[in-house]
Amino acid sequence: MTELWDFFAVPMGYAFMQRALLAAVLIGAVCAVLSCYLVLKGWSLMGDAISHAVLPGVVLSFVLGLPFAIGAFAAGLTCALLTGYLKENSRVKEDTVMGIVFSGMFGLGLVLFTKVETDQHLNHILFGDMLGITHSDLIEVAIIAGVTLLIIIAKWRDLLLYCFDPQHARAIGLPLGVIHYGLLVLLALTIIASLKAVGIILVVAMLVAPGAIAYLLTDRFSRMLMIAAGVAIGSSVLGTLVSFHIDGATGPCIVLIQAFVFVLAFLFAPRRGIFALRRAALTQPPC
Amino acid sequence: MGELIAPFLYDYMLKAMFVSALVGAVCAFLSAFLMLKGWSLMGDALGHAVVPGVAGAYLLQLPYAAGAFVAGLLAALGMALVKQRTRLREDAIIGLVFTAFFAAGLLIASIYPTSVSIQTIVLGNILGISDEDVVQVVIISLVSLAILIAKWRDLVVVFFDESHARTVGIKADALKVLFFTLLAACTVAALQTVGACLVIAMVVTPGATAYLLTDRFGRLIVLSVLIGAATSFIGAYASYFLDGATGGVIVTLQTVVFLIAFYFAPKHGVLAGRRRQAQSSGGAIP
Repeated sequence: MTELWDFFAVPMGYAFMQRALLAAVLIGAVCAVLSCYLVLKGWSLMGDAISHAVLPGVVLSFVLGLPFAIGAFAAGLTCALLTGYLKENSRVKEDTVMGIVFSGMFGLGLVLFTKVETDQHLNHILFGDMLGITHSDLIEVAIIAGVTLLIIIAKWRDLLLYCFDPQHARAIGLPLGVIHYGLLVLLALTIIASLKAVGIILVVAMLVAPGAIAYLLTDRFSRMLMIAAGVAIGSSVLGTLVSFHIDGATGPCIVLIQAFVFVLAFLFAPRRGIFALRRAALTQPPC
Repeated sequence: MGELIAPFLYDYMLKAMFVSALVGAVCAFLSAFLMLKGWSLMGDALGHAVVPGVAGAYLLQLPYAAGAFVAGLLAALGMALVKQRTRLREDAIIGLVFTAFFAAGLLIASIYPTSVSIQTIVLGNILGISDEDVVQVVIISLVSLAILIAKWRDLVVVFFDESHARTVGIKADALKVLFFTLLAACTVAALQTVGACLVIAMVVTPGATAYLLTDRFGRLIVLSVLIGAATSFIGAYASYFLDGATGGVIVTLQTVVFLIAFYFAPKHGVLAGRRRQAQSSGGAIP
Protein backbone atom coordinates (compact mmCIF):
# COMPACT_ATOMS: atom_id res chain seq x y z
CA MET A 1 0.00 0.00 0.00
CA THR A 2 2.82 2.37 0.84
CA GLU A 3 4.32 1.69 -2.58
CA LEU A 4 1.14 2.84 -4.22
CA TRP A 5 1.11 5.91 -2.01
CA ASP A 6 4.71 6.65 -2.93
CA PHE A 7 3.89 6.31 -6.62
CA PHE A 8 1.71 9.40 -6.30
CA ALA A 9 3.30 11.19 -3.36
CA VAL A 10 6.99 11.15 -4.28
CA PRO A 11 6.62 13.07 -7.57
CA MET A 12 4.43 15.65 -5.83
CA GLY A 13 7.41 16.69 -3.78
CA TYR A 14 9.06 18.23 -6.84
CA ALA A 15 7.98 21.62 -8.12
CA PHE A 16 8.57 20.64 -11.76
CA MET A 17 6.26 17.62 -11.32
CA GLN A 18 3.54 19.80 -9.80
CA ARG A 19 3.71 22.08 -12.82
CA ALA A 20 3.77 19.12 -15.21
CA LEU A 21 0.72 17.52 -13.61
CA LEU A 22 -1.21 20.77 -13.66
CA ALA A 23 -0.36 21.20 -17.35
CA ALA A 24 -1.39 17.58 -17.99
CA VAL A 25 -4.86 18.23 -16.51
CA LEU A 26 -5.37 21.43 -18.53
CA ILE A 27 -4.13 19.99 -21.82
CA GLY A 28 -6.00 16.74 -21.34
CA ALA A 29 -9.27 18.61 -20.76
CA VAL A 30 -9.07 20.92 -23.76
CA CYS A 31 -7.82 18.24 -26.17
CA ALA A 32 -10.53 15.83 -25.05
CA VAL A 33 -13.36 18.27 -25.67
CA LEU A 34 -12.09 19.20 -29.12
CA SER A 35 -11.38 15.58 -30.03
CA CYS A 36 -15.08 14.71 -29.75
CA TYR A 37 -15.83 17.17 -32.55
CA LEU A 38 -12.87 16.15 -34.68
CA VAL A 39 -13.73 12.46 -34.51
CA LEU A 40 -17.31 13.13 -35.58
CA LYS A 41 -16.33 15.58 -38.29
CA GLY A 42 -13.51 13.44 -39.73
CA TRP A 43 -10.86 16.09 -39.25
CA SER A 44 -8.14 13.92 -37.71
CA LEU A 45 -5.81 14.57 -40.63
CA MET A 46 -6.40 18.30 -40.24
CA GLY A 47 -5.06 18.10 -36.68
CA ASP A 48 -2.03 16.20 -37.93
CA ALA A 49 -1.42 18.72 -40.72
CA ILE A 50 -1.72 21.85 -38.57
CA SER A 51 0.55 20.45 -35.88
CA HIS A 52 3.35 19.66 -38.34
CA ALA A 53 2.97 22.98 -40.13
CA VAL A 54 3.61 24.87 -36.90
CA LEU A 55 7.39 24.26 -37.08
CA PRO A 56 8.46 27.08 -39.46
CA GLY A 57 6.30 29.48 -37.42
CA VAL A 58 8.17 28.59 -34.26
CA VAL A 59 11.54 29.30 -35.90
CA LEU A 60 10.40 32.53 -37.59
CA SER A 61 8.85 33.91 -34.41
CA PHE A 62 12.22 33.42 -32.75
CA VAL A 63 13.95 35.33 -35.56
CA LEU A 64 11.43 38.17 -35.23
CA GLY A 65 11.56 38.15 -31.45
CA LEU A 66 7.88 37.29 -30.98
CA PRO A 67 6.42 34.82 -28.49
CA PHE A 68 6.50 31.41 -30.13
CA ALA A 69 2.73 30.94 -29.76
CA ILE A 70 2.05 33.76 -32.25
CA GLY A 71 4.32 32.36 -34.95
CA ALA A 72 2.97 28.86 -34.40
CA PHE A 73 -0.60 30.07 -34.63
CA ALA A 74 0.05 32.00 -37.85
CA ALA A 75 1.81 29.03 -39.43
CA GLY A 76 -0.97 26.62 -38.41
CA LEU A 77 -3.66 28.81 -39.93
CA THR A 78 -1.56 29.39 -43.06
CA CYS A 79 -1.47 25.63 -43.55
CA ALA A 80 -5.25 25.34 -43.26
CA LEU A 81 -5.95 28.29 -45.57
CA LEU A 82 -3.35 27.29 -48.15
CA THR A 83 -4.80 23.77 -48.26
CA GLY A 84 -8.25 25.23 -48.92
CA TYR A 85 -6.91 27.58 -51.63
CA LEU A 86 -4.90 24.90 -53.46
CA LYS A 87 -7.81 22.50 -53.37
CA GLU A 88 -10.28 25.04 -54.76
CA ASN A 89 -7.97 25.95 -57.63
CA SER A 90 -6.67 22.61 -58.81
CA ARG A 91 -7.93 19.12 -59.49
CA VAL A 92 -5.79 17.47 -56.82
CA LYS A 93 -7.68 15.70 -54.01
CA GLU A 94 -7.96 17.37 -50.61
CA ASP A 95 -6.01 14.80 -48.59
CA THR A 96 -3.17 14.94 -51.13
CA VAL A 97 -3.06 18.74 -51.03
CA MET A 98 -3.01 18.65 -47.25
CA GLY A 99 -0.15 16.17 -47.28
CA ILE A 100 1.82 18.35 -49.70
CA VAL A 101 1.29 21.54 -47.74
CA PHE A 102 2.07 20.28 -44.28
CA SER A 103 5.07 18.20 -45.30
CA GLY A 104 6.39 21.15 -47.30
CA MET A 105 6.03 23.47 -44.32
CA PHE A 106 7.58 20.92 -41.97
CA GLY A 107 10.51 20.45 -44.36
CA LEU A 108 10.97 24.20 -44.63
CA GLY A 109 10.88 24.43 -40.85
CA LEU A 110 13.65 21.85 -40.56
CA VAL A 111 15.81 23.73 -43.07
CA LEU A 112 15.22 27.02 -41.24
CA PHE A 113 15.99 25.34 -37.96
CA THR A 114 19.46 24.25 -39.06
CA LYS A 115 20.23 27.74 -40.34
CA VAL A 116 18.91 29.73 -37.37
CA GLU A 117 20.30 29.45 -33.87
CA THR A 118 17.21 29.39 -31.65
CA ASP A 119 16.78 29.02 -27.95
CA GLN A 120 14.40 26.12 -28.54
CA HIS A 121 15.69 22.58 -28.61
CA LEU A 122 14.46 20.77 -31.73
CA ASN A 123 13.75 17.58 -29.79
CA HIS A 124 11.57 19.50 -27.35
CA ILE A 125 9.47 20.94 -30.14
CA LEU A 126 9.15 17.60 -31.92
CA PHE A 127 8.57 15.35 -28.93
CA GLY A 128 7.50 17.66 -26.11
CA ASP A 129 9.14 18.44 -22.81
CA MET A 130 6.47 18.09 -20.17
CA LEU A 131 8.84 17.84 -17.23
CA GLY A 132 10.64 21.01 -18.30
CA ILE A 133 7.56 23.24 -18.29
CA THR A 134 8.29 26.59 -16.70
CA HIS A 135 6.00 28.82 -14.72
CA SER A 136 5.40 31.18 -17.65
CA ASP A 137 4.74 28.24 -19.98
CA LEU A 138 2.11 27.05 -17.55
CA ILE A 139 0.39 30.43 -17.53
CA GLU A 140 0.41 30.47 -21.34
CA VAL A 141 -1.10 26.99 -21.47
CA ALA A 142 -3.73 27.97 -18.90
CA ILE A 143 -4.79 31.05 -20.84
CA ILE A 144 -4.98 29.31 -24.21
CA ALA A 145 -6.75 26.25 -22.81
CA GLY A 146 -9.14 28.39 -20.77
CA VAL A 147 -10.18 30.58 -23.70
CA THR A 148 -10.62 27.57 -25.98
CA LEU A 149 -12.72 25.71 -23.42
CA LEU A 150 -14.90 28.75 -22.77
CA ILE A 151 -15.60 29.23 -26.48
CA ILE A 152 -16.45 25.56 -26.96
CA ILE A 153 -18.72 25.48 -23.90
CA ALA A 154 -20.52 28.62 -25.05
CA LYS A 155 -21.04 27.36 -28.60
CA TRP A 156 -21.12 23.59 -28.21
CA ARG A 157 -24.52 23.08 -29.81
CA ASP A 158 -23.72 25.13 -32.91
CA LEU A 159 -20.43 23.32 -33.34
CA LEU A 160 -22.12 19.96 -32.93
CA LEU A 161 -24.77 20.76 -35.49
CA TYR A 162 -22.09 21.91 -37.91
CA CYS A 163 -20.16 18.67 -37.48
CA PHE A 164 -23.16 16.38 -37.76
CA ASP A 165 -25.41 18.05 -40.28
CA PRO A 166 -24.04 21.09 -42.12
CA GLN A 167 -27.11 21.30 -44.39
CA HIS A 168 -29.42 21.62 -41.41
CA ALA A 169 -27.07 24.13 -39.80
CA ARG A 170 -27.24 26.22 -42.98
CA ALA A 171 -31.02 25.91 -43.13
CA ILE A 172 -31.52 27.36 -39.66
CA GLY A 173 -29.25 30.24 -40.57
CA LEU A 174 -26.02 29.48 -38.76
CA PRO A 175 -23.02 31.26 -40.28
CA LEU A 176 -21.19 28.19 -41.61
CA GLY A 177 -18.08 30.09 -42.69
CA VAL A 178 -17.62 31.59 -39.24
CA ILE A 179 -18.07 28.22 -37.54
CA HIS A 180 -15.72 26.47 -39.99
CA TYR A 181 -12.91 28.96 -39.47
CA GLY A 182 -13.75 29.23 -35.77
CA LEU A 183 -13.22 25.50 -35.38
CA LEU A 184 -9.92 25.77 -37.26
CA VAL A 185 -8.79 28.56 -34.95
CA LEU A 186 -9.75 26.51 -31.88
CA LEU A 187 -7.86 23.55 -33.30
CA ALA A 188 -4.72 25.61 -33.90
CA LEU A 189 -4.92 27.08 -30.38
CA THR A 190 -5.31 23.67 -28.78
CA ILE A 191 -2.37 22.30 -30.73
CA ILE A 192 -0.16 25.17 -29.59
CA ALA A 193 -1.19 24.67 -25.97
CA SER A 194 -0.31 20.96 -26.20
CA LEU A 195 3.01 21.39 -28.05
CA LYS A 196 4.99 21.86 -24.85
CA ALA A 197 3.62 18.68 -23.39
CA VAL A 198 3.58 16.08 -26.14
CA GLY A 199 5.31 17.72 -29.09
CA ILE A 200 4.38 18.30 -32.72
CA ILE A 201 4.14 14.68 -33.78
CA LEU A 202 2.04 13.23 -30.97
CA VAL A 203 -0.44 16.10 -30.61
CA VAL A 204 -2.71 14.35 -33.07
CA ALA A 205 -3.04 11.40 -30.66
CA MET A 206 -4.35 13.74 -27.95
CA LEU A 207 -6.79 15.10 -30.53
CA VAL A 208 -8.15 11.73 -31.66
CA ALA A 209 -7.86 9.09 -28.96
CA PRO A 210 -10.14 10.51 -26.21
CA GLY A 211 -13.00 11.18 -28.63
CA ALA A 212 -12.59 7.79 -30.29
CA ILE A 213 -12.64 5.98 -26.94
CA ALA A 214 -15.73 7.86 -25.79
CA TYR A 215 -17.43 7.19 -29.11
CA LEU A 216 -17.14 3.45 -28.48
CA LEU A 217 -18.72 3.78 -25.04
CA THR A 218 -21.77 5.97 -25.53
CA ASP A 219 -24.29 7.29 -28.02
CA ARG A 220 -25.01 10.59 -26.30
CA PHE A 221 -22.83 13.56 -27.07
CA SER A 222 -22.93 15.12 -23.61
CA ARG A 223 -21.80 11.83 -22.10
CA MET A 224 -19.17 11.47 -24.82
CA LEU A 225 -17.68 14.81 -23.80
CA MET A 226 -17.47 13.79 -20.17
CA ILE A 227 -15.98 10.36 -20.85
CA ALA A 228 -13.42 11.85 -23.23
CA ALA A 229 -12.40 14.47 -20.67
CA GLY A 230 -12.13 11.84 -17.93
CA VAL A 231 -10.01 9.53 -20.09
CA ALA A 232 -7.74 12.30 -21.33
CA ILE A 233 -7.12 13.89 -17.95
CA GLY A 234 -6.67 10.51 -16.28
CA SER A 235 -4.19 9.23 -18.86
CA SER A 236 -2.28 12.53 -18.99
CA VAL A 237 -1.77 12.50 -15.22
CA LEU A 238 -0.97 8.80 -15.09
CA GLY A 239 1.37 9.06 -18.10
CA THR A 240 3.28 11.92 -16.48
CA LEU A 241 3.67 9.95 -13.25
CA VAL A 242 4.75 6.79 -15.08
CA SER A 243 7.33 8.67 -17.12
CA PHE A 244 8.75 10.09 -13.90
CA HIS A 245 9.18 6.61 -12.44
CA ILE A 246 10.55 4.79 -15.50
CA ASP A 247 12.63 7.78 -16.57
CA GLY A 248 11.16 7.73 -20.10
CA ALA A 249 9.77 10.49 -22.33
CA THR A 250 6.44 11.88 -21.09
CA GLY A 251 4.50 12.41 -24.33
CA PRO A 252 4.84 8.80 -25.49
CA CYS A 253 3.78 7.51 -22.04
CA ILE A 254 0.57 9.54 -22.17
CA VAL A 255 -0.20 8.44 -25.71
CA LEU A 256 0.50 4.78 -24.96
CA ILE A 257 -1.80 4.82 -21.92
CA GLN A 258 -4.54 6.30 -24.07
CA ALA A 259 -3.94 3.60 -26.66
CA PHE A 260 -4.21 0.98 -23.92
CA VAL A 261 -7.52 2.46 -22.77
CA PHE A 262 -8.71 2.35 -26.37
CA VAL A 263 -7.85 -1.34 -26.62
CA LEU A 264 -9.78 -1.98 -23.38
CA ALA A 265 -12.79 -0.08 -24.71
CA PHE A 266 -12.50 -1.88 -28.04
CA LEU A 267 -12.66 -5.26 -26.30
CA PHE A 268 -14.97 -4.65 -23.34
CA ALA A 269 -17.28 -1.75 -24.24
CA PRO A 270 -20.72 -2.69 -22.87
CA ARG A 271 -22.60 -2.50 -26.17
CA ARG A 272 -20.07 -2.12 -28.98
CA GLY A 273 -17.06 -4.03 -27.63
CA ILE A 274 -15.85 -7.23 -29.27
CA PHE A 275 -17.06 -9.38 -26.37
CA ALA A 276 -20.45 -7.68 -26.19
CA LEU A 277 -20.96 -8.23 -29.91
CA ARG A 278 -19.96 -11.86 -29.58
CA ARG A 279 -22.34 -12.37 -26.66
CA ALA A 280 -25.13 -10.74 -28.63
CA ALA A 281 -24.41 -13.06 -31.55
CA LEU A 282 -24.56 -16.11 -29.26
CA THR A 283 -27.85 -15.24 -27.56
CA GLN A 284 -29.60 -14.63 -30.85
CA PRO A 285 -31.60 -17.67 -31.90
CA PRO A 286 -30.11 -19.40 -34.94
CA CYS A 287 -32.25 -18.99 -37.98
CA MET B 1 32.96 27.03 -59.83
CA GLY B 2 35.21 24.79 -57.80
CA GLU B 3 32.84 25.21 -54.89
CA LEU B 4 29.88 23.97 -56.88
CA ILE B 5 31.46 20.63 -57.72
CA ALA B 6 32.81 20.16 -54.20
CA PRO B 7 30.01 17.77 -53.16
CA PHE B 8 31.00 15.40 -55.97
CA LEU B 9 34.46 15.00 -54.50
CA TYR B 10 33.27 13.32 -51.33
CA ASP B 11 32.28 9.67 -51.21
CA TYR B 12 29.59 10.24 -48.62
CA MET B 13 28.00 12.97 -50.75
CA LEU B 14 28.01 10.82 -53.88
CA LYS B 15 26.43 8.02 -51.89
CA ALA B 16 23.82 10.36 -50.44
CA MET B 17 22.89 11.88 -53.80
CA PHE B 18 22.56 8.62 -55.71
CA VAL B 19 20.73 6.77 -52.94
CA SER B 20 18.33 9.71 -52.52
CA ALA B 21 17.67 9.83 -56.26
CA LEU B 22 16.94 6.10 -56.36
CA VAL B 23 14.58 6.26 -53.38
CA GLY B 24 12.97 9.40 -54.79
CA ALA B 25 12.31 7.63 -58.08
CA VAL B 26 10.64 4.57 -56.51
CA CYS B 27 8.54 6.63 -54.10
CA ALA B 28 7.45 8.88 -56.97
CA PHE B 29 6.37 5.84 -58.98
CA LEU B 30 4.09 4.79 -56.11
CA SER B 31 2.89 8.35 -55.57
CA ALA B 32 1.17 8.31 -58.96
CA PHE B 33 -1.19 5.62 -57.65
CA LEU B 34 -1.47 6.79 -54.05
CA MET B 35 -2.45 10.32 -54.98
CA LEU B 36 -5.16 9.32 -57.44
CA LYS B 37 -6.70 6.83 -55.00
CA GLY B 38 -6.76 9.32 -52.11
CA TRP B 39 -4.55 7.21 -49.88
CA SER B 40 -2.09 9.93 -48.93
CA LEU B 41 -2.83 9.47 -45.24
CA MET B 42 -1.86 5.83 -45.55
CA GLY B 43 1.65 6.81 -46.63
CA ASP B 44 1.98 9.15 -43.67
CA ALA B 45 0.66 6.54 -41.24
CA LEU B 46 3.02 3.81 -42.46
CA GLY B 47 5.95 6.20 -42.22
CA HIS B 48 5.24 6.79 -38.54
CA ALA B 49 4.15 3.25 -37.71
CA VAL B 50 7.47 1.64 -38.68
CA VAL B 51 9.38 3.71 -36.11
CA PRO B 52 9.10 1.26 -33.16
CA GLY B 53 10.30 -1.53 -35.46
CA VAL B 54 13.34 0.47 -36.50
CA ALA B 55 14.09 1.48 -32.90
CA GLY B 56 13.74 -2.13 -31.75
CA ALA B 57 15.95 -3.39 -34.58
CA TYR B 58 18.71 -0.91 -33.78
CA LEU B 59 18.43 -1.88 -30.13
CA LEU B 60 18.82 -5.59 -30.90
CA GLN B 61 21.27 -4.93 -33.75
CA LEU B 62 19.09 -6.55 -36.38
CA PRO B 63 18.70 -5.22 -39.95
CA TYR B 64 16.52 -2.12 -39.56
CA ALA B 65 14.41 -3.04 -42.58
CA ALA B 66 13.19 -6.27 -40.96
CA GLY B 67 12.02 -4.50 -37.80
CA ALA B 68 10.36 -1.75 -39.79
CA PHE B 69 8.56 -4.25 -41.95
CA VAL B 70 7.14 -6.18 -38.98
CA ALA B 71 5.94 -2.97 -37.30
CA GLY B 72 4.33 -1.74 -40.51
CA LEU B 73 2.55 -5.04 -40.96
CA LEU B 74 1.25 -5.03 -37.36
CA ALA B 75 0.00 -1.47 -37.76
CA ALA B 76 -1.81 -2.34 -41.00
CA LEU B 77 -3.44 -5.35 -39.34
CA GLY B 78 -4.44 -3.26 -36.32
CA MET B 79 -6.07 -0.64 -38.53
CA ALA B 80 -7.94 -3.29 -40.53
CA LEU B 81 -9.19 -4.99 -37.36
CA VAL B 82 -10.45 -1.79 -35.70
CA LYS B 83 -12.05 -0.62 -38.94
CA GLN B 84 -13.92 -3.88 -39.35
CA ARG B 85 -15.28 -3.96 -35.80
CA THR B 86 -16.16 -0.35 -34.93
CA ARG B 87 -18.12 2.53 -36.41
CA LEU B 88 -15.21 4.95 -36.14
CA ARG B 89 -14.23 6.89 -39.24
CA GLU B 90 -11.21 5.68 -41.14
CA ASP B 91 -9.15 8.82 -40.58
CA ALA B 92 -9.62 8.57 -36.81
CA ILE B 93 -8.55 4.92 -36.82
CA ILE B 94 -5.45 5.65 -38.86
CA GLY B 95 -4.56 8.58 -36.59
CA LEU B 96 -5.07 6.48 -33.50
CA VAL B 97 -2.99 3.50 -34.61
CA PHE B 98 -0.04 5.31 -36.12
CA THR B 99 0.41 7.66 -33.16
CA ALA B 100 0.30 4.73 -30.74
CA PHE B 101 3.03 2.96 -32.71
CA PHE B 102 5.07 6.10 -33.02
CA ALA B 103 4.78 6.72 -29.28
CA ALA B 104 6.07 3.21 -28.60
CA GLY B 105 9.10 3.94 -30.77
CA LEU B 106 9.78 7.21 -28.96
CA LEU B 107 9.50 5.52 -25.58
CA ILE B 108 12.02 2.84 -26.58
CA ALA B 109 14.40 5.54 -27.80
CA SER B 110 13.99 7.64 -24.66
CA ILE B 111 14.79 4.69 -22.41
CA TYR B 112 17.81 3.54 -24.46
CA PRO B 113 19.17 6.82 -25.85
CA THR B 114 22.64 5.45 -26.56
CA SER B 115 21.74 2.63 -28.92
CA VAL B 116 18.81 4.29 -30.70
CA SER B 117 19.05 7.77 -32.18
CA ILE B 118 15.50 8.97 -32.48
CA GLN B 119 16.52 12.03 -34.46
CA THR B 120 18.04 9.84 -37.17
CA ILE B 121 14.84 7.85 -37.46
CA VAL B 122 12.44 10.78 -37.45
CA LEU B 123 14.44 13.22 -39.54
CA GLY B 124 16.60 10.86 -41.59
CA ASN B 125 20.35 11.05 -41.87
CA ILE B 126 21.39 10.20 -45.41
CA LEU B 127 24.69 12.05 -45.07
CA GLY B 128 25.75 9.75 -42.27
CA ILE B 129 24.15 6.54 -43.50
CA SER B 130 26.04 3.34 -42.71
CA ASP B 131 27.08 0.93 -45.47
CA GLU B 132 24.79 -1.86 -44.24
CA ASP B 133 21.85 0.53 -44.39
CA VAL B 134 22.82 1.61 -47.92
CA VAL B 135 22.78 -2.02 -49.04
CA GLN B 136 19.32 -2.51 -47.55
CA VAL B 137 17.95 0.68 -49.12
CA VAL B 138 19.36 -0.11 -52.55
CA ILE B 139 18.06 -3.69 -52.56
CA ILE B 140 14.60 -2.62 -51.41
CA SER B 141 14.42 0.16 -54.00
CA LEU B 142 15.66 -1.89 -56.94
CA VAL B 143 13.37 -4.83 -56.21
CA SER B 144 10.36 -2.52 -55.76
CA LEU B 145 11.19 -0.66 -58.97
CA ALA B 146 11.50 -3.91 -60.92
CA ILE B 147 8.14 -5.18 -59.62
CA LEU B 148 6.48 -1.84 -60.36
CA ILE B 149 7.81 -1.72 -63.91
CA ALA B 150 6.62 -5.27 -64.51
CA LYS B 151 3.19 -4.85 -62.96
CA TRP B 152 2.14 -1.23 -63.35
CA ARG B 153 -0.38 -1.85 -66.10
CA ASP B 154 -2.15 -4.49 -64.02
CA LEU B 155 -2.16 -2.12 -61.04
CA VAL B 156 -3.76 0.61 -63.15
CA VAL B 157 -6.54 -1.74 -64.23
CA VAL B 158 -7.14 -2.96 -60.67
CA PHE B 159 -7.23 0.49 -59.12
CA PHE B 160 -9.30 2.29 -61.70
CA ASP B 161 -11.55 -0.40 -63.13
CA GLU B 162 -11.79 -3.30 -60.75
CA SER B 163 -14.67 -5.10 -62.44
CA HIS B 164 -12.83 -5.01 -65.73
CA ALA B 165 -9.77 -6.38 -63.97
CA ARG B 166 -11.80 -9.34 -62.72
CA THR B 167 -13.24 -10.13 -66.14
CA VAL B 168 -9.81 -10.22 -67.75
CA GLY B 169 -8.62 -12.51 -64.97
CA ILE B 170 -6.30 -10.28 -62.96
CA LYS B 171 -6.11 -11.25 -59.31
CA ALA B 172 -7.23 -7.94 -57.82
CA ASP B 173 -6.81 -8.77 -54.13
CA ALA B 174 -3.35 -10.22 -54.58
CA LEU B 175 -2.27 -7.11 -56.46
CA LYS B 176 -3.64 -4.83 -53.74
CA VAL B 177 -1.66 -6.73 -51.12
CA LEU B 178 1.37 -6.44 -53.38
CA PHE B 179 0.88 -2.70 -53.71
CA PHE B 180 0.70 -2.10 -49.97
CA THR B 181 3.71 -4.33 -49.41
CA LEU B 182 5.61 -2.20 -51.92
CA LEU B 183 4.38 0.95 -50.20
CA ALA B 184 5.63 -0.34 -46.85
CA ALA B 185 8.96 -1.29 -48.42
CA CYS B 186 9.40 2.15 -49.98
CA THR B 187 8.46 3.86 -46.73
CA VAL B 188 11.23 1.90 -45.07
CA ALA B 189 13.68 3.01 -47.76
CA ALA B 190 12.55 6.64 -47.60
CA LEU B 191 12.99 6.63 -43.84
CA GLN B 192 16.75 6.73 -44.36
CA THR B 193 16.67 9.72 -46.68
CA VAL B 194 13.99 12.05 -45.34
CA GLY B 195 12.90 10.47 -42.06
CA ALA B 196 9.54 9.29 -40.75
CA CYS B 197 7.88 12.70 -40.70
CA LEU B 198 8.56 13.59 -44.31
CA VAL B 199 7.93 10.22 -45.97
CA ILE B 200 4.48 11.46 -46.92
CA ALA B 201 5.95 14.12 -49.21
CA MET B 202 8.03 11.55 -51.09
CA VAL B 203 4.99 9.34 -51.76
CA VAL B 204 2.53 12.13 -52.61
CA THR B 205 4.05 15.33 -53.97
CA PRO B 206 5.78 14.15 -57.19
CA GLY B 207 2.64 12.34 -58.34
CA ALA B 208 0.43 15.35 -57.61
CA THR B 209 2.83 17.62 -59.51
CA ALA B 210 2.81 15.33 -62.54
CA TYR B 211 -0.98 15.13 -62.35
CA LEU B 212 -1.14 18.88 -62.99
CA LEU B 213 1.06 18.51 -66.05
CA THR B 214 -0.46 15.66 -68.01
CA ASP B 215 -3.67 13.73 -68.56
CA ARG B 216 -2.20 10.40 -69.59
CA PHE B 217 -1.29 7.91 -66.91
CA GLY B 218 1.80 6.51 -68.62
CA ARG B 219 3.23 9.98 -68.99
CA LEU B 220 2.19 10.84 -65.46
CA ILE B 221 4.33 8.00 -64.10
CA VAL B 222 7.35 8.99 -66.19
CA LEU B 223 7.08 12.65 -65.17
CA SER B 224 6.53 11.75 -61.55
CA VAL B 225 9.59 9.50 -61.45
CA LEU B 226 11.71 12.18 -63.12
CA ILE B 227 10.52 14.84 -60.66
CA GLY B 228 11.05 12.56 -57.69
CA ALA B 229 14.55 11.51 -58.72
CA ALA B 230 15.66 15.01 -59.74
CA THR B 231 14.37 16.78 -56.61
CA SER B 232 15.92 14.14 -54.35
CA PHE B 233 19.28 14.34 -56.14
CA ILE B 234 19.38 18.13 -56.16
CA GLY B 235 18.07 18.31 -52.59
CA ALA B 236 20.85 16.06 -51.33
CA TYR B 237 23.36 18.10 -53.34
CA ALA B 238 22.08 21.37 -51.90
CA SER B 239 22.11 20.08 -48.35
CA TYR B 240 25.91 20.00 -48.59
CA PHE B 241 25.89 23.78 -48.59
CA LEU B 242 23.35 23.97 -45.76
CA ASP B 243 25.18 21.58 -43.43
CA GLY B 244 22.46 18.97 -43.16
CA ALA B 245 18.67 18.77 -43.00
CA THR B 246 18.76 16.77 -46.26
CA GLY B 247 15.18 15.58 -45.82
CA GLY B 248 13.93 19.11 -45.25
CA VAL B 249 15.73 20.41 -48.35
CA ILE B 250 14.41 17.62 -50.60
CA VAL B 251 10.83 18.07 -49.45
CA THR B 252 10.95 21.87 -49.64
CA LEU B 253 12.21 21.53 -53.20
CA GLN B 254 9.41 19.12 -54.10
CA THR B 255 6.84 21.52 -52.66
CA VAL B 256 8.29 24.44 -54.63
CA VAL B 257 8.12 22.42 -57.85
CA PHE B 258 4.49 21.58 -57.03
CA LEU B 259 3.65 25.26 -56.49
CA ILE B 260 5.30 26.21 -59.80
CA ALA B 261 3.23 23.57 -61.59
CA PHE B 262 0.13 24.78 -59.73
CA TYR B 263 0.49 28.25 -61.23
CA PHE B 264 2.17 27.68 -64.58
CA ALA B 265 1.02 24.24 -65.74
CA PRO B 266 0.05 24.58 -69.42
CA LYS B 267 -3.47 23.21 -69.09
CA HIS B 268 -4.37 22.74 -65.43
CA GLY B 269 -2.48 25.65 -63.88
CA VAL B 270 -4.13 28.66 -62.27
CA LEU B 271 -2.83 31.06 -64.92
CA ALA B 272 -4.02 28.85 -67.78
CA GLY B 273 -7.44 28.67 -66.12
CA ARG B 274 -7.61 32.44 -65.88
CA ARG B 275 -6.60 32.87 -69.49
CA ARG B 276 -9.29 30.43 -70.56
CA GLN B 277 -11.87 32.28 -68.52
CA ALA B 278 -10.92 35.62 -70.06
CA GLN B 279 -11.21 34.15 -73.56
CA SER B 280 -14.50 32.39 -73.01
CA SER B 281 -16.14 35.49 -71.56
CA GLY B 282 -15.21 37.20 -74.82
CA GLY B 283 -13.53 40.06 -73.06
CA ALA B 284 -10.27 41.20 -74.61
CA ILE B 285 -7.41 41.27 -72.16
CA PRO B 286 -6.63 44.92 -71.59
